[in-house]
Amino acid sequence: MRVLKLSKKDENKLYDVLIKFGEVWAPVPKGSRYVFDKIEKKEDLIMYNEFIRTILPIKKFLMPQELNILNFKPSKYEKPKVDIPTRVIVGVPPCEIHALNILDKFYTTDFVDNYYMERREKVIIIGKSSLPDEYLFSHKTNTSIVEEGYDLFFIDLGDYYLVWVGSEKGDDIVRLGSDIFSEDVPVDVAKDFVAYREKRRKAFTKDIDLEGVTDLMELMYDADFWDEFGEKCLSCGQCTMVCPTCTCFNVIDEIELNKDEGHRRRYWDSCMFKDYSLVAGQHNFRESRAERLKLWYTHKLKAFIGHFGSPSCVGCGRCIITCPVDINVETVVEKLKG
Amino acid sequence: MKKKPTLGIYGFTGCAGCQLSLLDCEDELIDLFSAADIKVFYEAMSNNDDEALVDIALVEGSINTNKQLDELKEIREKAKVLVAFGSCANHGCVQAMALGDGKWEQRFKQVYGDAKFTVAIPREAQPIHKFVKVDAFIPGCPPSKIQMLRAITQLLFGNKPTYTNSPVCLECKFRENECLLNDGKLCLGPLTMGGCTAPCPTHNTPCIGCWGIIEEANHIAELKLLKEKGFKTEEIIRRFRMFGGSEIVEKIEKLLEVAK
Ligand code: SF4
Ligand code: SF4
Ligand code: SF4
Ligand code: SF4
Ligand code: SF4
Repeated sequence: MRVLKLSKKDENKLYDVLIKFGEVWAPVPKGSRYVFDKIEKKEDLIMYNEFIRTILPIKKFLMPQELNILNFKPSKYEKPKVDIPTRVIVGVPPCEIHALNILDKFYTTDFVDNYYMERREKVIIIGKSSLPDEYLFSHKTNTSIVEEGYDLFFIDLGDYYLVWVGSEKGDDIVRLGSDIFSEDVPVDVAKDFVAYREKRRKAFTKDIDLEGVTDLMELMYDADFWDEFGEKCLSCGQCTMVCPTCTCFNVIDEIELNKDEGHRRRYWDSCMFKDYSLVAGQHNFRESRAERLKLWYTHKLKAFIGHFGSPSCVGCGRCIITCPVDINVETVVEKLKG
Repeated sequence: MKKKPTLGIYGFTGCAGCQLSLLDCEDELIDLFSAADIKVFYEAMSNNDDEALVDIALVEGSINTNKQLDELKEIREKAKVLVAFGSCANHGCVQAMALGDGKWEQRFKQVYGDAKFTVAIPREAQPIHKFVKVDAFIPGCPPSKIQMLRAITQLLFGNKPTYTNSPVCLECKFRENECLLNDGKLCLGPLTMGGCTAPCPTHNTPCIGCWGIIEEANHIAELKLLKEKGFKTEEIIRRFRMFGGSEIVEKIEKLLEVAK
């Protein structure tokens, strides 16, 4: 793996390099939060110092909220022709890169999801490390440090960034930007790097003790607190929309008015909605809200381990700041631990 | 060629905005008129065939007079499929926001005094399902173009319109909005049926529930949450009632009890 340096005084030239590879997308403010948005002017590309938690995670690039996946006529059907742009996504935090690795596994194991793959191939991930805020707990989910899943990864060390190259595409970028990416990385940089890692490690304050929760999920499956949460839950579905590892969608066919044609639409669904578990004959596996919450937390904290070897919560803290009634990984774990 | 289904579009008390929204589908109007044989369209045509039997009746508006009630029953007899079109027909809309409080006559007198009514006898606004069997519905005040045209298409194919049973919050999150509830605003998104594409929260304005109450609505939880946030019970209930129509009336007693 290659490591290079980007001096802060050259930071303003980064956009010109990246734009040669595709559209540049990065966090921009929206209200009191941020969203990944297309950057049209180089001065709008900001490498924020603080941890940036966009309202929606980067899954929106790979499995869009709504997507037309098929056009059909009585005689034939075809995949709609869409031009998927290459997008360079700048400022992706480590926990989200872990989420991306989870999505990759999910969408490529057993069945390859082509709609995901054709978008996945068109994103370039420029990761960035930053000091945690009071909601981030990726240190507890082993997702605070990344080793794979990015094309480039930036660590801010004061006057300069250390830049890790994680893929061939990343290598292409630093080669094309050879006037700003310097190969001159002296050994004493290691000192700064270690000091930064240590500072960052100590800066995590959110203390969610996840040890043993997998077993506790099993043991506490019938505990009363699930019903209390069920009574509080608004079934708004926000938790699943904002969670970087939620993948569920619904598919429906729609016919055009007075035309012999239609299309098939796929859009984000939520296991918090009643119809999600509705099957033929009006049977519903998870009639009550409590049952639906159990399903979600079983999936986040337990079931995924069986399939893929790690829990599917990456500690991003979105559910903590999004759920209006404070049902989230933190409050659930609190209850599990009694 | 197969016979085109016949369609009647009727209107009772409301602002006629639902019919207008259909007329506003300019690009699709030709398709609509070619796909259906339109016998009645109050807002759009002058030569309405009021006596016609229709395959599908879209009924807009709430029932506010005895005369309307009679007409509604006639439409029911003439229509194979009767569809409540928009919030007025579905829930009663704002004119039914005080439904069931027992003070309708008093309020009526305040406004109209001792006026004599000869053509039609007024009555408290009610959604149409209170009087006749309703086979399908199209939500919204007014309905959104996409949702409405999809529903009408399904109807013309002889199917019941299907909706994803999800609240406004789904589309609100699709549009990557911060949640207004977390900002201390009285947003009814979680209680409200989706399909509008969440224009209000997208413009930083709380949802007031004009699409009508979603089946899964957890009013008690939202009431508790809003009270915690400092809203007064009366204010919350008034907002619940605004588009809550006849559905919320069934919940009011329980809600007031919880609010204590
Ligand atoms: S469960 Fe919560 S903290 Fe964990 S990844 Fe999902 S949104 Fe983030
Ligand atoms: S847990 Fe919270 S965010 Fe999720 S559906 Fe329930 S109220 Fe909404
Ligand atoms: S539902 Fe709304 S738009 Fe339609 S008639 Fe009633 S008030 Fe007007
Ligand atoms: S702002 Fe309103 S509609 Fe949007 S997510 Fe929050 S409660 Fe739902
Ligand atoms: S956001 Fe709420 S008030 Fe606004 S259009 Fe949708 S349902 Fe109506």
